[in-house]
Amino acid sequence: MDGGMAPPPPEPVSYLCGDCGADNSLKPGDVIQCRECGYRILYKKRTRRIVQYEAR
Amino acid sequence: MGLSKVEQRIKQKERVQELGAAAVARRLVKPHIDSFDYFVEHGLQQSALGIRPIELFQSATNCRLRIWIERPSISPPLKDDRDKTQFLDQRLRPLECRQSGITYKGQFSADICYQWNDQAVMRFSTSFGQVPVMVKSSICHLRGADRNKLIACKEEASEAGGYFICNGNERIIRMLLVTKRNHVVAIRRNSYKNRGPAYTDIACLIRCVRPDQSSVTVRVYYMQYGGATLAFSYRRQEFLIPVGIILKALSHTQDREIFELLSSIYDENNSGKRGAVGTQLVVQRAQIILEEVRRVGLFTRLQCLEYIGERFRAILEGVEDQPAAAVGERVIEDHIFVHLETSLDKFHLLIFMLQKLFAVADHTAAPDNVDAIQHQEILLPGHVLTMYAKDRMQDWLGKVRRVLAKELEDKPNEFDLQDVKKVQKLMDKVPSTSIGKRFEYLLNTGNLASKHSLELMQVGSCSESTGYTIVAERLNYLRYISHFRSVHRGAYFQSLRTTTVRKLLPESWGFLCPVHTPDGTPCGLLNHLTVSCEITSDMEANGVLRDYLSMRKEIVSVLSSYGMVSVSPGLAHCAPPSHVPVLLDGRVVGYVEASRIVSVVMGIRLLKVLRSSDIPADLEVAYVPCTFAGPYPGLFLSIGPARMVRPVKQLFGEQSVEMIGPLEQVYMDISCPDGIDNGWEDVSPTHMEISPMAMLSIVAGLTPWSDHNQSPRNMYQCQMGKQTMGFPAQTIQYRADNKLYRLQTPQTPLARTLRHTEYHMDEFPTGTNAIVAVLSYTGYDMEDAMIINKSSMERGLCHGQIYKTETIDLSRLNKKADGFNNKFARHTQLMYHSHAKFLDIDGLPYVGQRLKGDDPYCSVLNTMTGRAKVFKVKNSETAVVDYVAAVGTGPKEPLQKVTIRLRQERNPVIGDKFSSRHGQKGICSQLWPDIDMPFSHVTGMRPDIIINPHAFPSRMTIGMLLESMAAKGGALEGKFVDATPFKYNLSSSSDRDSVAREQKGGTLIDEYGDILRAHGFNYHGTEVMYSGVFGTELVCEIFIGVVYYQRLRHMVSDKFQVRSRGPVNPVTQQPVKGRSAGGGIRFGEMERDSLLAHGAAYLLHDRMHTCSDYHIGSVCSNCGSLIAPMAVSQAKAGHTHLLAVGAKRNKEVCRYCNSGKWIEKVAMPFAFRYLTSELAAMNVKLNLKVSDELRNT
Repeated sequence: MDGGMAPPPPEPVSYLCGDCGADNSLKPGDVIQCRECGYRILYKKRTRRIVQYEAR
Repeated sequence: MGLSKVEQRIKQKERVQELGAAAVARRLVKPHIDSFDYFVEHGLQQSALGIRPIELFQSATNCRLRIWIERPSISPPLKDDRDKTQFLDQRLRPLECRQSGITYKGQFSADICYQWNDQAVMRFSTSFGQVPVMVKSSICHLRGADRNKLIACKEEASEAGGYFICNGNERIIRMLLVTKRNHVVAIRRNSYKNRGPAYTDIACLIRCVRPDQSSVTVRVYYMQYGGATLAFSYRRQEFLIPVGIILKALSHTQDREIFELLSSIYDENNSGKRGAVGTQLVVQRAQIILEEVRRVGLFTRLQCLEYIGERFRAILEGVEDQPAAAVGERVIEDHIFVHLETSLDKFHLLIFMLQKLFAVADHTAAPDNVDAIQHQEILLPGHVLTMYAKDRMQDWLGKVRRVLAKELEDKPNEFDLQDVKKVQKLMDKVPSTSIGKRFEYLLNTGNLASKHSLELMQVGSCSESTGYTIVAERLNYLRYISHFRSVHRGAYFQSLRTTTVRKLLPESWGFLCPVHTPDGTPCGLLNHLTVSCEITSDMEANGVLRDYLSMRKEIVSVLSSYGMVSVSPGLAHCAPPSHVPVLLDGRVVGYVEASRIVSVVMGIRLLKVLRSSDIPADLEVAYVPCTFAGPYPGLFLSIGPARMVRPVKQLFGEQSVEMIGPLEQVYMDISCPDGIDNGWEDVSPTHMEISPMAMLSIVAGLTPWSDHNQSPRNMYQCQMGKQTMGFPAQTIQYRADNKLYRLQTPQTPLARTLRHTEYHMDEFPTGTNAIVAVLSYTGYDMEDAMIINKSSMERGLCHGQIYKTETIDLSRLNKKADGFNNKFARHTQLMYHSHAKFLDIDGLPYVGQRLKGDDPYCSVLNTMTGRAKVFKVKNSETAVVDYVAAVGTGPKEPLQKVTIRLRQERNPVIGDKFSSRHGQKGICSQLWPDIDMPFSHVTGMRPDIIINPHAFPSRMTIGMLLESMAAKGGALEGKFVDATPFKYNLSSSSDRDSVAREQKGGTLIDEYGDILRAHGFNYHGTEVMYSGVFGTELVCEIFIGVVYYQRLRHMVSDKFQVRSRGPVNPVTQQPVKGRSAGGGIRFGEMERDSLLAHGAAYLLHDRMHTCSDYHIGSVCSNCGSLIAPMAVSQAKAGHTHLLAVGAKRNKEVCRYCNSGKWIEKVAMPFAFRYLTSELAAMNVKLNLKVSDELRNT
């Protein structure tokens, strides 16, 4: 691809379908479309990381 | 009766909710939806009918081709299915459009018909592109959806539609006030004198509207010599014709009849009587008009038509080969009184206009005020679109004709008009799909560009009309719904110097709200319809187009049965004051004897409300009575669309509710149950208002006890109510608005008007009930500042968030850069390593991630250059990633478009703006610790908010004091308090509350004071309080109660501006302006003057110089030049070895003197150096005399 480091194997990112709610794992470059219903708006899943809010 | 009381109550509650918010909202946006439905179902067809077919003739083949458009239609929005696969559901829904930032539009197509030499017609269906579709209109997928279906579609449960979705934004076509259609008004305007010599300032005008909603205004000018000239506009040019020619061209009559008709308003027996409109001059004028025609040598109707035809042949299109008389006929048909079909009707209307004109010229009738609502109607969204559709289709056909005609001219032998394929191929040169694009442009920008004048000059500016559409912001529900009820006078009037158009006229009572208008530039031009005001529609409730013809027939036959003299026999001497002319939708239908007119009007009114009669319920029966030099008398009936109507109760017959219009209202006797007998001594009212609240708009009707406030305060509340942070939508998690404000802890107000319940404001609450103490405490509540209890804030008082949605579209980025090499990805290079913390592998942020200033939230990688474009959060805007949506743009395309919504927390801080519902706004000046707040002797309670008592005396917002007391009582009793204005003025003694109050023998305060006393509180709402700091009793008792507080959207976090260093203007080196650019605030000349006056020299120097464009320049003291000294690199001067970094590298040398020994360093503003260079550029040398003199003295 471009210079710099060798590209790591693309890890899929999880998305949720905006219509049917199905889980879709997409690799970079995949077509944005739900595999179950064909809907074209997918939402990214909430991160699994710890998110800490200020409790004040 | 099996149900218990509780069960019944629950059921009733459910029913209210069912009917509830959705039905109410639907009623409010009805004019928008109805008119769009009309556009789709009837208007389009009518506009196609209104376009004349184009005709082409090829002499070689003797072939005549006619082309026209038929059956235009718009289909429901469908998904863009370039791949024609996958989707189970082809329907495009509004939600998807909002989320992915596309337009909700449907296919616009029509049949193009070809006919050769009267042979069989060939039709081809053609696409005219895609036209935006109104949500919830008859071609919207959400039409008829109930609450549950709407929720399933992720729409608002009470979604009423009425807007378009353009590129993801919700836009509406705003309603505009225009001159009432088919209604004669007489005006005096000085500019009319400029039309030419002999023109006066008097004219009569009528805006005639065709069934396809396009209009032509006809003016009749009064001339100094007593004649009159008729004028109409065509393609932005005004054409003037002597009125006599038109009169003779309109009917086969003798001069005698015209003379008699014109002079019929004069009768010497009547002079001086009430309602006598004619004078002896009229007779002379009639002679002058006829003389004028005779002098031109026109005697017959044919001659007149030919005379007109010859002059208009060159101007009209497509009439080159027609006889002159036919052209004349066409001028009359297409441009003069286009709302009427027969020329006899046109003739009589012209006679009426002349009579009115002469009466105004003779001061026997008063000119009309065109700014008054009685002579106005509303330009509805659907009508704008209908007109625009006609204009565009006509324009397209015209272009097609020109292309074909040119081909016929250029290649007369090769081109064969009979060849369909060739004709169609040529037609492709004029792309038909551009029509859809024009519609989108209209909705996106609000600019209505048209070569043909759409007769809307008065609406927009001269060349191009603007301001037709606005964004329906969902800041809160009040603002949102107000957009649909707003009525604008037109962008043109905004720039007008005179303020007469802005005046609040008593005529608009009940139609336009007197309270709800903004202050400032749009004041009085942007009004809001009252709650009860409705707009008449073109369609019946069942969606069928109204049959105006049969309605008119029915009305005329009813009138005839009441003894109306028909207009047709001609020589009948009918005129005011003995007879009153009757006009129905701009057509003179007859005369009614003045003595019987009142009973006739009464009779029609009774029939109008009768359900079984064929007379429409919204018929306007405007009887203008005979007066001394008042408005020209007549009975003006109208049944057309786009009129404002409102309900009032009849005080005769069966007391039914009648819909009345603004013109008739002026001449009706309507009493208002506001408790006072408004001078009804010698007149007995015929009608009664249903409620005095009828004059208020929705927003104004929500102000509690607005009748106790000073009126400007209520106006301020209307403004601030629309700027309040609230609960904007129940579908907040599915919305992708650019900016959305949300109040975390909204409450329903304790003191509420009937309107609050009626309009289900609880579905979209906008504030918090706060305990408000009125006292001067700590001094931090001076000058409209307010103190908020810190613990209340921490408990959640007025907490809120802002949602900001960013759409990143790679296809847009690609347009700017070259190629299609961009993709969403995190950069893998080491220098972008820190991004891994914030960005996922797909270049998008982690949902739920907290971002501070300068953190990246999106990265776009250019595969060609290997560089990444990183979108960063703006400085000082800490946000949380709320959602990230990847939007699929098409088949086989990787991710091209994302919408990222960021959430900013906005809890109250010092500097945020708050307001009560009485125009009492304030800035939070301190978050005061709870322990230091004053506390009540009885309850120990500490207030949430402290405001200063000085906020009341000059502003006189007694409503706020009442609210404070009443809501306090309501909180103690656990009840909501009815704060409807005028409630206690209602004269009807049946009102139980008022009876109760009467028995108590007191005022409003007595009622709420008693409640307070019953709960052990002070009768006047005051309490003994102790200082929170000293623990001592405060000397006076403190007024404390519950007030509904709104948090306004203006927050310091969006406004503060600080700078010590920062970006500077490259030319002058002075700080740039603008908060977003990190610039400074201008320290202008007036500020400078004040520092000078104070002798604050150091401060002045600091502001104007040190913090601005401080600069040390080199001046050559020998030659005095600022430009000649130049830095010469030492390497060049002979030093070969590199010096250490920071050491003197360059030497300044004067290029003019060729020496560096006279160089002096001088501090100066950089602007001075700039000035020197500018002067040098124009050959002026600036000499500086540099010396140490000043330093030495």
